Amino acid sequence: MGDPSSVATFQFGGLTFNAANIYSGLIAFVLVFLFVFALSRHITMKPGKGQNVLEWLIDFTNGILKGSIPGNETGAFGLYGFTLFLFLFISNQLGLFLQIAVGGKDFVRSPTSDPIVTMTFSLATLMIAQFAGVTKFGWKKHFSGYLKPFVFWLPISIFEEFTNFLTLGLRIFGVIFSGEMLLKIIGGLAFSHGIATMIVAIPLELVWQAFSAFLGAIQAYVFVTLSSVYIDKKLEIEE
Amino acid sequence: MFSHLAVASSLAVGDMLFYAICFIILMWLIKLVAWKPINQMMQDRADKISNDIDSAEKSRDDAAKLAKQRQDALANSRQEATGIVDSAKKQGQQQRDGIVAQAQTDAQALKDNAKKDIEQERQDALSSVRNDVADLSIEIASKIIQKELNADDQKALIDSYIEGLGK
Repeated sequence: MGDPSSVATFQFGGLTFNAANIYSGLIAFVLVFLFVFALSRHITMKPGKGQNVLEWLIDFTNGILKGSIPGNETGAFGLYGFTLFLFLFISNQLGLFLQIAVGGKDFVRSPTSDPIVTMTFSLATLMIAQFAGVTKFGWKKHFSGYLKPFVFWLPISIFEEFTNFLTLGLRIFGVIFSGEMLLKIIGGLAFSHGIATMIVAIPLELVWQAFSAFLGAIQAYVFVTLSSVYIDKKLEIEE
Repeated sequence: MFSHLAVASSLAVGDMLFYAICFIILMWLIKLVAWKPINQMMQDRADKISNDIDSAEKSRDDAAKLAKQRQDALANSRQEATGIVDSAKKQGQQQRDGIVAQAQTDAQALKDNAKKDIEQERQDALSSVRNDVADLSIEIASKIIQKELNADDQKALIDSYIEGLGK
């Protein structure tokens, strides 16, 4: 999996789509929406169970944002951080318990185990950061930040943007992709030599699944944290 | 990895578009379903809590004020009660003095009246006695005179009468 030859693609409106990404992405989107929808019924002054969980999550993601973005500017990015965290978290966990492959082609797996998906989100974060900078300081002041501390710093600044974009997307992709790869290898091992290998492989698979679940949570957290850091960098003028 | 990226990039645009659009829709839905109402509720709750704190402060102040008022009223009423008792005592004293004085004057008046009456009685009695004596003496005198009366005896008699009347 992750190997381009192992996914089904189709063409639509002159664009190429990756079937696995579309299906698993849809599943993740629907799961996130259902999760939030189910928890947000009956919103009352005295919170019930579901509302408590949701409020805790909102506080959690707002806390991540407040850690880097100063003061009252977090308000505008709260919804982005909240949705991003939930989507990445569920995407990371999706492949751990649900992997569907038909005829050697993947159809459902973690959406985040494809770099295109993670790059989409890292691009979105960097665009939001640029947008926030321009909104706050105006075009001229915002882009003059690339010339600090001196004019010849420009290539380095641009390169930094590029590396931010790459590392933000590839970090989460690498962790999730390798996690699923290893899960698959252990799964293959389990079925390779009958009962004997299965006894060895099942505890191994359990442990690795638990670790991957942990890593998935951490990566979602890290992604949102770094997003807020990148946004914050554009909201502050370096002197 | 880079070969993978290169291949993926040839596939990418559709997926990227799909994810971007889906993510925006998801964000919008979450905003509609949960984000707005929950934040509104959290804001309301924060307001309510701060209001409650304010009103608790206010009612505590009110209670303290009331307690102070009650204390004052208690002290006042004690003072008032003492005043009432004092004035009652004073009034009682006055009334007693008045009654005694009245009784004294009454008694005095009675005594004076009695004295006057007695005096009057005496005067009356005296004057009636005097009249009686005069009448008697005249009667006696006439009786004696009718019997035998010489001039000397008469004279002596009259003198002695006159003398007696002079007393």
